[in-house]
Amino acid sequence: MGTENPGRPSFPMRPSSTPFASAPPTVRPFSSSGPLAGSESSNFRPTSPGAPPTMTPFSAAGPSPPARFSDPSVPSPPIKPVPPFGMPYHQFPTHPFPSAAQIPPNRAPPVGQPPFQPPATQVSVPPPSFRQQTQVPLVPMGSPPQNANFPLPSMNVPQPPSDSSLSGPRPNFQPPFPGYPNKQPAVSQAPPPFPAQQGSFMPPPAPPSPFPSQQGSYGPPPRQSLTEDFSSLSVASVPGSIDPAFDHRTLPRPLDGDEVPSSFLEMYPMNCDPRYLRLTTSAIPNSQSLLSRWHLPLGAVVCPLAEAPEGEEVPVINFTSTGIIRCRRCRTYVNPYVTFTDAGRKWRCNICSLLNDVPGEYFANLDATGRRIDLDQRPELIKGSVEFVAPTEYMVRPPMPPLYFFLIDVSISAVRSGMIEVVAQTIRSCLDELPGFPRTQIGFITYDSTIHFYNMKANLDDIFVPLPDDLLVNLSESRNVVETFLDSLPSMFQDNVNVESAFGPALKAAFMVMSQLGGKLLIFQNSLPSLGVGRLKLRGDDLRVYGTDKEHILRLPEDPFYKQMAADLTKYQIGINIYAFSDKYTDIASLGTLAKYTGGQVYYYPSFQSGIHGEKLRHELARDLTRETAWEAVMRIRCGKGIRFTTYHGNFMLRSTDLLALPAVDCDKAYAMQLSLEETLLTTQTVYFQVALLYTASCGERRIRVHTAAAPVVTDLGEMYRQADTGAIVSLFCRLAIERTLTSKLEDARNSLQLRIVKALREYRNLYAVQHRLGTRMIYPESLKFLCLYGLALSKSVPLKGGYADAQLDERCAAGFTMMALPVKKLLKLLYPSLIRIDEYLLKPSAEADDDFKNIMKRLPLVAECLDSRGLYIYDDGFRFVIWFGRMLSPDIAKNLLGSDFAAELSRVILTEQDNEMSRRLMKI
Amino acid sequence: MAWDLIFWVLCFFINIALLASSFYQLLSLSDLEADHLNPFEATTRINSIVLPDFLLQAFLCLSFLLTWHWFMFLFTLPITAYHLMLYLNRKHLLDVTEIFRDLNTEKKYRFVKLAVYLLLFTVVLFRLVISASTLYTMKSMFIHIDFWGSTVGGICKLVIRIF
Repeated sequence: MGTENPGRPSFPMRPSSTPFASAPPTVRPFSSSGPLAGSESSNFRPTSPGAPPTMTPFSAAGPSPPARFSDPSVPSPPIKPVPPFGMPYHQFPTHPFPSAAQIPPNRAPPVGQPPFQPPATQVSVPPPSFRQQTQVPLVPMGSPPQNANFPLPSMNVPQPPSDSSLSGPRPNFQPPFPGYPNKQPAVSQAPPPFPAQQGSFMPPPAPPSPFPSQQGSYGPPPRQSLTEDFSSLSVASVPGSIDPAFDHRTLPRPLDGDEVPSSFLEMYPMNCDPRYLRLTTSAIPNSQSLLSRWHLPLGAVVCPLAEAPEGEEVPVINFTSTGIIRCRRCRTYVNPYVTFTDAGRKWRCNICSLLNDVPGEYFANLDATGRRIDLDQRPELIKGSVEFVAPTEYMVRPPMPPLYFFLIDVSISAVRSGMIEVVAQTIRSCLDELPGFPRTQIGFITYDSTIHFYNMKANLDDIFVPLPDDLLVNLSESRNVVETFLDSLPSMFQDNVNVESAFGPALKAAFMVMSQLGGKLLIFQNSLPSLGVGRLKLRGDDLRVYGTDKEHILRLPEDPFYKQMAADLTKYQIGINIYAFSDKYTDIASLGTLAKYTGGQVYYYPSFQSGIHGEKLRHELARDLTRETAWEAVMRIRCGKGIRFTTYHGNFMLRSTDLLALPAVDCDKAYAMQLSLEETLLTTQTVYFQVALLYTASCGERRIRVHTAAAPVVTDLGEMYRQADTGAIVSLFCRLAIERTLTSKLEDARNSLQLRIVKALREYRNLYAVQHRLGTRMIYPESLKFLCLYGLALSKSVPLKGGYADAQLDERCAAGFTMMALPVKKLLKLLYPSLIRIDEYLLKPSAEADDDFKNIMKRLPLVAECLDSRGLYIYDDGFRFVIWFGRMLSPDIAKNLLGSDFAAELSRVILTEQDNEMSRRLMKI
Repeated sequence: MAWDLIFWVLCFFINIALLASSFYQLLSLSDLEADHLNPFEATTRINSIVLPDFLLQAFLCLSFLLTWHWFMFLFTLPITAYHLMLYLNRKHLLDVTEIFRDLNTEKKYRFVKLAVYLLLFTVVLFRLVISASTLYTMKSMFIHIDFWGSTVGGICKLVIRIF
């Protein structure tokens, strides 16, 4: 705890804020007030006295809105009730992580006048919520640690009268939280009036400072103070989302997007940036017994090629004279954590602690502190991420040129949907931006029931016999032919009426053409493969299979051809991206296997219509073609003695136990892996991780990208939880759950996910419950405050949600393949998309609007109340924008945005840039 | 009588073949784990002998049944049934893409098989020796019986004549 506390201010008033040990004393002071509390306590369950008090104010408001409110609102106390909701948030400010925790935009307003606003909102709350309250007791929403609880009773005291009155009307309420119910209105119930207030409400991060003063007089304040203690403990009181009785507005919401724990970086400033490597907890347990009490996955999520912001690019180092410096035994690359000894003649490997000789050319003297004097000129010794230029020992063949091969379905459905046209146009427009000019190679095959090869070298006048060499050509040499071909492609098959698809044979043909070089194969598939090898049957239309033990078979490839083919493709360094467009079943489960084991990606556009999905396809295809790509790559992650990476999750194929084969990898791919301890007890203080990605850059250089990170070994479970990284945990959970769906029912996958989260939180609770008497509230570490939310979001995500009817089988599989590869940030955004209200912004005069563009871009919590029927919202999950038009949206806006025929069919509207300022501004967003 | 011996000799060789196949598969997997073999080669190697292995085992099991060797039949039955189950579920071949994930279970399965075959080997060897020795003693017995037979026969004839 001590470690976490540093940042937070000490509150004079409350001794409890100090470490746990101090807690007992705090209790006593309160106890003095106890008598009062006692009277009330009868109402409240004795067990959870703490929580109730804070809540009570609210509850009162809920049941007997008018009367009660007036009371509380007048005195300072009423104010306090509000804070409780905010409590979890409040704590943050004190925390080291404060910035991340609080979402400035939304919450900021409330903060100023936290007390008063809340009551108002509460008043409005409808009575129906009461029922929910009854449930409250059941919920273990731990409020902050024990300290908090004790004080709470005292807080209750003042309120008793009000409560008692309230209690009369609703006997059920025993729980002190009556107030909560009011707020509870489940998302679905959300009363329309609320939305506006809510936004402000949720955040109410009560400033910590006010509490101390209040504490003495009022119950609620003490609780807050306590919560702060907790926060210091990194515990917050949060009702489980499961509990209906709890106010959803008090739930932590990741409105700031992903929060990367920063303490890790602060502790080890030479670590690589978390965008490359994130550990699920940056405190590694020192023993297996400790690990067994950490019920969350222990592992890492690696995104080796993550896009670096301007100015933070990974430095490229060329060790021409010395060769790359690596440990003799464990092959670790030289990194900032190696230590030089023996006057600089030797260096000790940080991973296996072997003493290595420093090559003569690399020698430098050590200064008095034992550091090399040339440290500034050696980025590999200061930075956690570096790139070495690999000499020829690291090549089995000359570096391959970037190679793009297109396999395009030209059957009737492809023609009808306009897919071919969009694809041809997009490819053509990207020709200039393909990486690796002038070495880039390109080739095309189209297929329906036959396979069409295109000679890209010959003039069309020449007679030719197709040779493999002519199918795949250098783009810069055959630019004209390629352009002509792409221009004519859409018209070439205009009248095609072929409905068959010889996918398998076409794939084999492409494989043969590419097997010399490897590269990237983009497949545009429009129907179920129906001819030749690899043909697939319609499956999944037998409803009886769903919900049984055989259900998962539908999510596995049907024909072993696909797995075998994927393995062969990987062997020859071919990466596959699948673009699927059909409105009917195309068995993405089978097709996606190709992408999965070749490090590729699946893009799925159900019932593709070029009018609607064209823009999306264009954007995604362009990104696919133009983003920086690493070719013929292999990746390995090394770690210190005593621990070992055991399982790997993501889209790749394992070449050996710990070597990931990645024929084509780019910045949008991340890989997760799980750790296990090999020894029962770790004796080292720190463990090191090193990710090495050996790849061929588009420019033709063979390179090794090395990311190094260190993490402390701890003996304390609480520390592990405090250092947890929700994003990485969710990412690992996501992959585990999706893999689970491949071997068992969806329900099992969801259950095991929930079970692990529950177990983890229970373990955490046990850690503190005894000394602090938590009552029935749930507690969780600050670092995991979003875990429940993301856990729920995950079980509602496309690959996992519901049963048969909730998502098409194809959609499920496609989303599954996509999520297996997503980097943490994008995954979190997909799970918890941003919702932004834009109508106000659009209506403002332009100059003013530009100023507060940033203000506008604040994210709203995803609850139904946030949607005002007069508003215009953008919902952005990273893959698509959904623009939500409120039913009562002013017609002006609608007209400006959509043109005069906006009334037609909103779902089909194509957002084109209308000729007016408003829409232009929208497009800018 | 000689048939029995021939049968056990046959079983003996089949058993050795099965042992060798299990051992080879296990060796390939260990090589794979130690990175001396790449997954493509390892799976091709193993997959190529999986079916012959299954057939041989099934044949052995069946021949025990047909020759009325109940104990031996029951002894080999579990493995045969397991093979059949794998085959029907199309899981008998190694999956090259997921081989590392399944490596431990596959190794364990082959270890168990190896142990069973070793046990079977001792039993078969034992029966082989028994049948060989019985054949030998039988042969001497035959002579014995012949002798006795002839004497008994002679006595009988003698007795008949007397009467």
